[in-house]
Amino acid sequence: MRHLYLSLMPEALIASMLSPEEFGNYYAVGSEHTTQGQAVFFEVDPDFRHAEIPIGEALSRCVPHADGTPKHTVYASVYRVLERIPLSAIRTLYLTTKDGRTLGLERSAEMPASNGELHLYHELAPVRPLVVSRLGPEPFFRLLCGSSNPPLSIPAVSFIELRLGDLATDPLNGSLGDLPYDNVDHLRSCLGQVKSKEVAAKVVDRLHPGTFSYRTIKSGLYIGNKTDGLAVYRLQAMAALKETDYLWWKSATI
Amino acid sequence: MTNDLWLFIGIGCGLGSIAAALVYYRWVSRQEPGNEKAVQIASWIKDGASTYLRMLYRALIAVAIFLVIVLAVIFSGDPKRPLHGVYTAMAFGFGALCSALAGWLGMSIAVKANVRTATACGRSLGQGFNVAFKAGAVMGLAMVGVAVFGMSLLYLIFHDAEIVLGFSFGASSLALLAKAGGGIFTKTADIAADLTGKVELGIPEDDPRNPAVIADNVGDNVGDVAGMGADIFDSYVAATVASMLLGTSFAATIGIQYVVLPLILCILGIISALIGLQFVKVGPEGKPGKALNFGTVISCVIFAGLATALFAIVNLSAGETLLNWGALIATVSGLVIGVIIGFTTDYFTNDEHRPVRHVAEISASGTGLTIITGFSYGLISMAPAIFGIVLATLASYFSAQAFGLPGIYGVGIAAVGMLSLTGIVVSNDAYGPIVDNAKGIAEMSGMSHEVVDTADVLDSAGNTAKAITKGFSISAAALTVLAMYAAYSEVIVKYSGDSFIMSLQDPIVLAGIFLGCIVPPLFSALTMLAVTRNAFTMIEEIRRQFKAKPGILAGTELPDYAKCVGIASSGALRALVLPAFLAIILPLIVGFCLGPTALGGFLGGAIFTGVVFALLMSNAGGLWDNAKKYIEAGNCGGPGSEAHKAAVVGDTVGDPFKDTAGPSLNTLITVMSLVSSLFAPLIAQYHLF
Repeated sequence: MRHLYLSLMPEALIASMLSPEEFGNYYAVGSEHTTQGQAVFFEVDPDFRHAEIPIGEALSRCVPHADGTPKHTVYASVYRVLERIPLSAIRTLYLTTKDGRTLGLERSAEMPASNGELHLYHELAPVRPLVVSRLGPEPFFRLLCGSSNPPLSIPAVSFIELRLGDLATDPLNGSLGDLPYDNVDHLRSCLGQVKSKEVAAKVVDRLHPGTFSYRTIKSGLYIGNKTDGLAVYRLQAMAALKETDYLWWKSATI
Repeated sequence: MTNDLWLFIGIGCGLGSIAAALVYYRWVSRQEPGNEKAVQIASWIKDGASTYLRMLYRALIAVAIFLVIVLAVIFSGDPKRPLHGVYTAMAFGFGALCSALAGWLGMSIAVKANVRTATACGRSLGQGFNVAFKAGAVMGLAMVGVAVFGMSLLYLIFHDAEIVLGFSFGASSLALLAKAGGGIFTKTADIAADLTGKVELGIPEDDPRNPAVIADNVGDNVGDVAGMGADIFDSYVAATVASMLLGTSFAATIGIQYVVLPLILCILGIISALIGLQFVKVGPEGKPGKALNFGTVISCVIFAGLATALFAIVNLSAGETLLNWGALIATVSGLVIGVIIGFTTDYFTNDEHRPVRHVAEISASGTGLTIITGFSYGLISMAPAIFGIVLATLASYFSAQAFGLPGIYGVGIAAVGMLSLTGIVVSNDAYGPIVDNAKGIAEMSGMSHEVVDTADVLDSAGNTAKAITKGFSISAAALTVLAMYAAYSEVIVKYSGDSFIMSLQDPIVLAGIFLGCIVPPLFSALTMLAVTRNAFTMIEEIRRQFKAKPGILAGTELPDYAKCVGIASSGALRALVLPAFLAIILPLIVGFCLGPTALGGFLGGAIFTGVVFALLMSNAGGLWDNAKKYIEAGNCGGPGSEAHKAAVVGDTVGDPFKDTAGPSLNTLITVMSLVSSLFAPLIAQYHLF
């Protein structure tokens, strides 16, 4: 059985003989544990093909090793992948922790309701800035991929919404709680600017680290492109995940 | 009642306490051990602990035999007491044996109770607490029982407090090695498990994929059960013996009953602990921490009541003051101040108070500030304990003196009063590592998260109990060594036939003070360097295992847990040689070369820096640990944040502070005081200056 995976960290399309859980473990910790790191990837329809990406060739090279062990990875592309894969070919999302525990998430039918609060987005692909906005996920996606913002419009994007706690409603005086960004004064200032409607969105950290804590995700992971619109993979609350996926929860909250 | 009758009561009470411990032991052993996986994990921990104890006791037997021969030979030179050396050597061996027995009993129940506590947590919080606390009580009761039995028996046979001093020296020598060795073992495993597991690979705590996880759990037992138990055992015996020695010195003027009064107070302490233990209970929604503290306070009240009743009954029935009321005031002042010092320690190490929260908040600005702030609070935390020690010393000294007793005897009795709570305090302390292990076993064996959460609630109470115990044991050790110091002076006067005056204008005394001052820092450095050296070796081993066995992280292969246990065990034992030298040989070198006054200065210097370092390191380490836990609870950015990374560094620095070097210093200064007192008769006669 051969699989196609769309990795967001880094952006790449990969053929593999490993199941999603095995792939997540391998991608996070390596075969000899000399590398490690969080992994976020989608399973992609293995029949999907694109003229600009040599998917067939990658799959044909994805055969067992001489000793019979399965081929871990064959990279089909590491550049401009996200924009070339339609949402219809994208299946389950997998979130793998640094120590290799993997959680699968299915696409949600409905977008989370936006209630006028401020938002903190961490873009995962194609670039990775940390952005605050007064726009909910859908308007924020349209701001990035729509035609109303020509100089900055991008063909596709994937981002997560992170928790802001009390700052979502009261950026200047709200209690800090458990925030995913350390420079709180700067964060308050940026939130203040978008709340006063000077700008709809503001970059907080243009060189934000690629990794993030799953514990800090507020609503879920979003993926969209100009053609297909936006899809969301909602993450349950951590308390609920503790009940249903204890081992993953434990690794994700370390 | 005659002194001998009290000694028979002491023997009976000691045996009774041991019997009660055995009843609890049997009760705990009969509890449901749990599922197959949990039992398997518990057996790995048990095997690891047994391996370490076997190695430790083998080394200790060799050291003990050597010292027995040395003592027998050296102390047989007095023609007036030709068998004194043999008796002292026998008492030394008996003391070491009793200390080892108490440690072994505590360890053996702890490694049974951990899995039973985890399983009981599946039924209810109260049942989990009950199993862990009763197992802790085995250690507490066994320890005080063995100590009182041993001291009463030896004094009944020989009627010589100097022979009982040999018993104390035996107990303390073993305690020093058990505490320092256990402390090095536990932090080697803890740091290696955290640095490779949590930091490098992102593996959560108590995850069976980490090769060091079993060693880490073994370390909780050898460091916090056997080690801490041996530490308090040695202070308990040393305080009692010091007071008996002082009682002997002043017997001609104040009466022979003051020689056995310390033992009588120990008997009352055992009775108080046995009653107090019955009050420690937790309901379904109860708070374990409050239950533990309630047990301590109620035991304290019972002891004070019994002591007062004893003094009143003895004096009223005799129609005269056989037991001086000043001794009662000194006893109660030591008791009350001991409890207060314990609870002030809690202020600096509990995340409900300002210091821990401040360190957590400031950690967001980087590691440097975490270290500076935590260290500063550690320095401040010494003040209340030092004030407490000063208060206890002055109150007991002057209250005893006001009622016509020698003031210094009051100080010794205050230390005995403080340590009369040992039964309940050690029960609380041993409870901590048992519930810590229980939580780990629940995690590793895949018990439901409700069970893990219940064990976590018990564990939090254990951490607080542990911090209180450390404050208590350091303060008790300080008073003990002050009494021992006085006993040393009395022995020097007795055998030199001259007055014993130490002047700061005397360069020999100053030289002794400076030499003594440097011993605790040197000892701390040696034990902490041993931790880093061993942890480095273990980290290399863990990395090797992950590389050689790719299935470990995938959960398809088991790590080689025994290898890490072996590294921690052998590393800890190898590292003990130099610290043991400092504690035992250095006072003798100073005494025989520079003379009794230099040795007096040496002890003074070591006591003062030892107490200061012990308080600083224990409290700062506890504070950093809890600041990290406070962040992990979701505060100040939560796990993975920059604040958390800084707090993890703080905790790593604090680990050997609070669990290796800090608490071992109590035993160091006690052993040095005991060596000096034991060899004082020879030093008084033979010295170069």
